[in-house]
Amino acid sequence: MNFVAAEALPAAAIPTAPAALALEATSINEWLMRMQEASRKRAYIGTYVVTFGGNMSSAKIWHVCEGDQQMERVETLTGAPRSIFRHNDRVVTFMPESKVVRSEKRESLGMFPDLLQSTDGRIADYYKLKPEGVDRVAGVAVNVVVLAPKDSMRFGYRVWTEQKQGLVVKLQTLDTDGKVLEQAAFSELQLDAPVRMDKLLHMMGKTDGYKLEQQPVLVKTTASAEGWVLKAPVAGFKPMSCYKRPAGASGSAAQDQPLQWIFSDGLASVSIFVEPLDRQRHDRESSMSMGATQTMSRQLGAYWLTVVGEVPMATLQLFASGLERKK
Amino acid sequence: MNSNLPNTPSDPLTREILSALADGELAGAEFAVALEACQRDGDAAFASWSSYHLIGDVLRSPASGLRVADAQFLARFNQRLNSPLSQPFGGQAYAQDSKAYSADLEPVAQKIQPAMVSGPDRRAASNDGSFRWKLVAGFASLAAVTSVAWNISGLSSPASTGQLAQAQLPLQQVLVASPQGPVLRDARLEELLAAHRQLGGRSALQEPSGFLRNATFENDGRR
Repeated sequence: MNFVAAEALPAAAIPTAPAALALEATSINEWLMRMQEASRKRAYIGTYVVTFGGNMSSAKIWHVCEGDQQMERVETLTGAPRSIFRHNDRVVTFMPESKVVRSEKRESLGMFPDLLQSTDGRIADYYKLKPEGVDRVAGVAVNVVVLAPKDSMRFGYRVWTEQKQGLVVKLQTLDTDGKVLEQAAFSELQLDAPVRMDKLLHMMGKTDGYKLEQQPVLVKTTASAEGWVLKAPVAGFKPMSCYKRPAGASGSAAQDQPLQWIFSDGLASVSIFVEPLDRQRHDRESSMSMGATQTMSRQLGAYWLTVVGEVPMATLQLFASGLERKK
Repeated sequence: MNSNLPNTPSDPLTREILSALADGELAGAEFAVALEACQRDGDAAFASWSSYHLIGDVLRSPASGLRVADAQFLARFNQRLNSPLSQPFGGQAYAQDSKAYSADLEPVAQKIQPAMVSGPDRRAASNDGSFRWKLVAGFASLAAVTSVAWNISGLSSPASTGQLAQAQLPLQQVLVASPQGPVLRDARLEELLAAHRQLGGRSALQEPSGFLRNATFENDGRR
């Protein structure tokens, strides 16, 4: 799909209303698909930097794709040293300082095409694609667009994509005033780098000398089955999944483990955690902001709620006040 | 364990608490409670802190003379450290500032007669030439951690420079290492954040940006 055509769309003659909306949905979804494909297919090595407030974290990234297999290696350059390997939806994290290795399966990875299908035109209902010209980032020529939210319940995004194929090289999360909450960008990038999947797979499997940290097997459930309902749905956000944690994750009983209910509007996600109230630990309602991620905690009857998401605090509060025990 | 250490946040700040804090003997809940005591007794804390280090300096320095930081200078330095924190984590910036300030401490000279000093013979917490810098850095990180803890406990920002309001640090706070220096975080919240990153990334931006961002930034202090 020619990205230039999508960019030219807003300037074209205005079609009839339903057709216009359909075109809008198509263009935003097509843009996202193209961006996704490029990110998967292009091999690269780069230095990735995440900044918010006065904080900066960086990592070295290797990425390669062979057929339908994707491989990434992340070496953190800031804070605790970590080597993270991803092969499709399997993620292995090495922690050299404690000699612990963690292996987990992440459902959210590799589900993108299905995600687009399930959201239909939903992303276009809540976000508008606005081209912002061209620029140069990490030595490559890029196109700049803004995914502008249509209401104040979600954040916006400014995305820089490499002109030839659409790989995302820089991404800013913008709050409701358009202020930059967080930025993730390549400071240097080597495209079409000679990354070898077999070598990365080999490194991913070298767990000698490391203690394997057992990941608790999560039980998929539904909020309804667990007795919870969101009486007032939050516009744009659809429930995606719900998980229960089994007993013994940290020595506590199963019913003390928080239930996690996940929502998404296609670009942002929110997790509601519900656990039984423990007066010793749950003594203060609070909220915290870390770049794009906002969290809030409060009591709900005999339970303690923690809501986490890359959305404005007011949206988290809507989720918290909408949650109810089933009658 | 020192039985003079506070058990509850309302216990008064004592020299024992401060010396244990200065010597890095406290950790976990004790550390949090000690910080809370410092916040409450701001002025007393500063006076005790200065004299504690002065005593230490005298005991470690040659008898020929001693330089001590000008109290006014340190007060201004303190103010600068406590001035508006727009970000939750400021330790990194403070540590860098303190290096510049330690050079300034040298020209400020004031002789102290060792005979006037009385106090217990504290074990040498450090006996190298960079002790003075460590004093400043230690003070800087104390102030930074105090401010960070306060921001995280969910209260509104400080009303004025240098004046930290009453802040009860909740239990279950853990001190975790982060690139920004020591930071107080709730252990359970850390787990939930990790769970959200792991399972909650249902986003068209997850690949590669969301995943890479989480992988780069994930500093949950778990070693």
